[in-house]
Amino acid sequence: MTVGAPDPGALVERAFDGHKRSIARLISRCEDARPEAGAARDALFLTLARSSRRRHGVTVGITGTPGAGKSTLVGGLAPAMVRRASEDHRVAVVAIDPTSPISGGALLGDRTRIRFALDEPRLFFRSQASALALGGIAPTTWPVVRLLTHLFDTVLIETVGIGQSEVDVRALADHLVLITAPLAGDHVQFMKAGVMEVPDRIVLNKCDQQQAARASWSALRASVRMLRPGGDAPRLHRVSAQTGAGVDDLADALIALPRDPTTLASAALSRRAERLRRRVRDRFGTWGLDRIAAADLEAWLAADEDDGVWRRILSTVTPDDTAG
Amino acid sequence: MSNQDAHRLYDADGSPTRDRPWILRTYAGHTTAAASNALFRENLAKGQRGLSIAFDLPTQCGYSSDHDIARPEVGKVGVPVNSLDDMHALFDGIPIDEMNTSMTINGTSMWLMALYIALARERGVDESKLRGTTQNDLIKEYLARGTYIFPPDASFRIIAEMYEYALERVPKFNPSNVCSYHLQEAGATPVQELAFALATAVGVLDLLKERGEFDEEAFERAVGRISFFVNAGIRFVEEMCKMRAFTALWDEITRERYGVTNPKYRRFRYGVQVNSLGLTEAQPENNAWRILIETLGVTLSRDARCRALQLPAWNEALSLPRPWDQQWSLRLQQILAFETDLLEYPDLFEGSKVVESKTQALIEGARAELDRILAMGGVRAAVESGALKEALVASMSDRVSRIASGEQIVVGVNQWTDGLPSPLVQGDDGGVFRVDPEATKAVLDQLARTKADRDEAAAQAALDTLRAAAREGTNMVEPSIACALARVTTGEWADALREVFGEYRPVTGIDGQQLALEDDRVIKLRARVDALATSLGHRPRIVVGKPGLDGHSNGAEMIAVAARHVGFDVVYSGIRLTPEQIVQSAVEEDVDLIGLSVLSGSHLELVQQTMDALARADATDIPVVLGGIIPAADVEALKAMGVRATFTPADFSLTDILDRIVDVVAA
Repeated sequence: MTVGAPDPGALVERAFDGHKRSIARLISRCEDARPEAGAARDALFLTLARSSRRRHGVTVGITGTPGAGKSTLVGGLAPAMVRRASEDHRVAVVAIDPTSPISGGALLGDRTRIRFALDEPRLFFRSQASALALGGIAPTTWPVVRLLTHLFDTVLIETVGIGQSEVDVRALADHLVLITAPLAGDHVQFMKAGVMEVPDRIVLNKCDQQQAARASWSALRASVRMLRPGGDAPRLHRVSAQTGAGVDDLADALIALPRDPTTLASAALSRRAERLRRRVRDRFGTWGLDRIAAADLEAWLAADEDDGVWRRILSTVTPDDTAG
Repeated sequence: MSNQDAHRLYDADGSPTRDRPWILRTYAGHTTAAASNALFRENLAKGQRGLSIAFDLPTQCGYSSDHDIARPEVGKVGVPVNSLDDMHALFDGIPIDEMNTSMTINGTSMWLMALYIALARERGVDESKLRGTTQNDLIKEYLARGTYIFPPDASFRIIAEMYEYALERVPKFNPSNVCSYHLQEAGATPVQELAFALATAVGVLDLLKERGEFDEEAFERAVGRISFFVNAGIRFVEEMCKMRAFTALWDEITRERYGVTNPKYRRFRYGVQVNSLGLTEAQPENNAWRILIETLGVTLSRDARCRALQLPAWNEALSLPRPWDQQWSLRLQQILAFETDLLEYPDLFEGSKVVESKTQALIEGARAELDRILAMGGVRAAVESGALKEALVASMSDRVSRIASGEQIVVGVNQWTDGLPSPLVQGDDGGVFRVDPEATKAVLDQLARTKADRDEAAAQAALDTLRAAAREGTNMVEPSIACALARVTTGEWADALREVFGEYRPVTGIDGQQLALEDDRVIKLRARVDALATSLGHRPRIVVGKPGLDGHSNGAEMIAVAARHVGFDVVYSGIRLTPEQIVQSAVEEDVDLIGLSVLSGSHLELVQQTMDALARADATDIPVVLGGIIPAADVEALKAMGVRATFTPADFSLTDILDRIVDVVAA
C-alpha cells in the first residue's frame, strides 16, 4: 500500500465501514511529510468531499493541566457518547504528546489510560507527537482532524497541556472544553487576565474528592459569569473520571452540540482566518494587519490549506521577500 | 564469664555454642499442585527447612486458569491454585502445623491466607499454629513487579485487615512482608532500596495506627510482625552494610515513631533472595560464583544475618530452573551453614571503622530520602504521583548506560567475552526447564470438577457476603475463608472485589526520562532514524508491548526510553495487555514495528496470539520483534511464526538492539 497511490477510493470505502487499518493508513497519508504526498492528499480530500457516505464531524478541543485527568476522562467520555447517542455515532480521539527536543522522538503514552473496547468500529484513537511545533498542536493535526471529520461524528482533540495550546486548538475546534481539578483554580484568573482562552465548557474533574471539589465548584460558579461580559458564560460540569459520575451528562451535552454542516464550516473558516491574523500581528504588528486588511482570507482558506494561505499572506505583506 | 574468648559464641549458661543456621529455602512451584507437592517433598527430604511457594501469574493476578489472559501462563512461573481443592493437593502429606510457609503472593494475598486457614480447618489443624508469610507488598508491585489488582487504598485496607485478623488468631503468621527485592531488580540504589522499603513499612504501620483496631500492647506486637524481604547484589560489602543500616534504621523508626519499648518487637527480621538482575546469559556458569558472593553479603555479619535465604539458580537468565539447578543452589547454602565455621563466631565486623562509616553513610542517605517520601504524603501518595517510579527508571537508565559504556564491568558481558563453550548447557534439554503443555489440561479439568461438585448456591452466597463486607468496610478475611470453604475459585474471589474496588493502572514512569547515554554510536543512530523519517515521510513509530500477565516491565521500559532517545516515536501502554489490545494500538497508530517483551516463558503462545490478531486486522505487514528470556531452542520456531528479530539478556547493549530495530523497519 504505497503512499503515492493515486486513487484512494478503496481505502476510503473501507474507512467508512469503520475498518481500523484503513482509517489509520489514511491518517498516515495526512501526516506524510514527503513533497510528493501533497498530491495524494488533495486527491483524498476530493474523494472524501464527494462521497455520499461522508459525515460532518464536530471537533471538540480538550485542554487542561497535566494531572487534571484529561486522558482518563476522555477514556470514559468517548465510549459514553457512542453508547448514549440515539443513532450510530462515531467518535475519534486525537491525542497529542510532547516531542523530546533532544532526539526528536516522543513517548505516546495516553493509551495507558485509554482502553477502548476491541474491534469497536465506532471508536478510534490516534496519538500524535507535537513535533516541536509551538503550541501543543502538531503541524499535521489540522489535516488529520479534517480527515476524521469526514469519517466520524465527533473528533476529540486532546492537547499536550495548557497555555499556548488553547490558542491553536481554538482554531481547530468547534467547541473548547477545559478540564480542571479541584484546587487548581488559577485558570479562571488567567482567563480574566486574557492570558488564557475562554473555553465553551469547563469540567471540574475528580469530584470524588468531595471537600476540595465543593470548594472549587463554588469558586468556579462565582467567577465564570464575569468571563464573557455580554456573552454566554462557559457551561460548567462536575464529573469524576474515576467513578464515572457526571460523565454521561457531559457525553449527552457533546452529542447535542449544534451540528449543521454549513454553520460549522463557516465558523471554522473564520476561526482559521482569525488564527492567521493573529500570526500576522505577532510577526508584523498592526502594520501587517493593515497590509492584509483588504484580503478575503476566508475565501482563500476555503480553497487552500493553512500553509498555502500563509505563503500567500506573506507575499502580500512583504512582496519583495522570497517568502518562506 | 571473664574467661570467655571474644571470638567465640556462648549460650546462656556460658558454654561455647554455635548459631542455628538460617532457614534454607528454595523458591519453588510449577505445572500443577500435584507436581509442586512432589517437588516440595523432595526438597524437604534434601534438608530444606521451610517452603517458599511460587505461584503462577494467573493466581498472582487474580484469574482462574480458564480465563483467556491466563491460558498461556498456567503453571509457568509457579503453581496454579484455583480453589481449596488445589491447596489440599499442594500440601498433601506435608504437616502444615510444623511448616514455615512463605508465599510470594501480593494482589491475592488475602485469598491465599484464607485458603491456607481453610485448609487447616478442613484438616482439623489448630489455625493458631500456622506459621508463614504472605508477601503482600503492593508498593513494589506498583513500582516493579506488576501483580497488583486493586488501587492503593483498597490494597492497603486488605493488608490492614489481614493484620487485624491474624494478630490474635494466627499469631505466628506474617500477613505482609516489606519487600525491597524487586526494587533493586528495577534499578534501585542501596539508599533507594532502604528508603522505599522503610517508607512502605511506615505506610502499613501508620495505617494500622490510624484505624485504631489495636490497643498499644497489640500494636507493639503488630510492629513485631513486620518482616522484610531484601535483595543482595554483587557489591557484597556495601550490601552487608545495607543490612546493618536496615537494622539500625528499623530500630530507630520503631522506637521513635511508634514508641515500641520491647526490643524484641524492634528487631529487623528479614529474608533474602540474592540478586537475579545481575545474572547473565553470557557465560552462564559465572552466575554460580555471583550467587556465592552475594550470599556472603547477607550471612557473613552475624548482627545483620538473614533469617531465611533462598538462592536463584545459575541459569535463571536462560529460562526457569530445573530441579537439579535448584539443588545445586541449596547445596551452596548447606556447605556454608554446616561445613564452614561461619556460625561459630560473634559478629566479625563489630568495631570495623570501614563498615561503621559505610553503614553510617547509607543510614544518612536513606533517612533523607525517607523524609522526602514522607513529605510527599507518604508512600501511597509518592507512588500515585509517579515520583518513586520515575526515580527507579532513572536509576535503571544510569545502570544500563554504565554497563553499555563499559564503566561498570560485567564479566563475560562487556569484558572477557571470549570464553569456551559451557558444557552445562550441552544436555538434551539445553540446560533449561520446560513445563509439560499437557499439564494445563489437568489443571483445567480439576477446576471444572471443583465447580461441578460444589454447592453452587453456597458459593454464590459466600461471594455475596464477601462483596457486602468489601462495600461496608468490614473485615474481609472471614468472608474470604468462607468463600474458600465453599469452593469459590481464585478468579471469582478477585472479580467480586474488582466490582467493588475497581482495577488499578499505575503511571508507567517513563515519561520525561532521559538516558545518560551519549556517544558516537547514539549520534550515528539518531542520524539513521532521521534519514529513515525522511524516506518514510514520518518519524518511525513503534509499539513496545508487554502482553500477558508478566509484570516485569524493566526491560520494556528501557527499550521504550532508549527508542525515544534515538528519535523514535514510541507507544508504550504499560503491562497486562492482551496481544489483541497491543495489535489494536499498533493498527490504529499505524506503527512501523511491534516490539514485544516476555519474561514468563510464554513467548510462543503470546507471539502466536499476536500474529493471529495481526492477520484478523489485515496488518501482517507490520514487523514483530521479541525480547525476553528466550531459550535458543525456541528462536527457530519464533522465526517460523514471523518474528523478525529476537533479543535475549545476552543483547545487553541498547544501541545494538535499536540498530537492529532500525534495520528491520528500513527493510
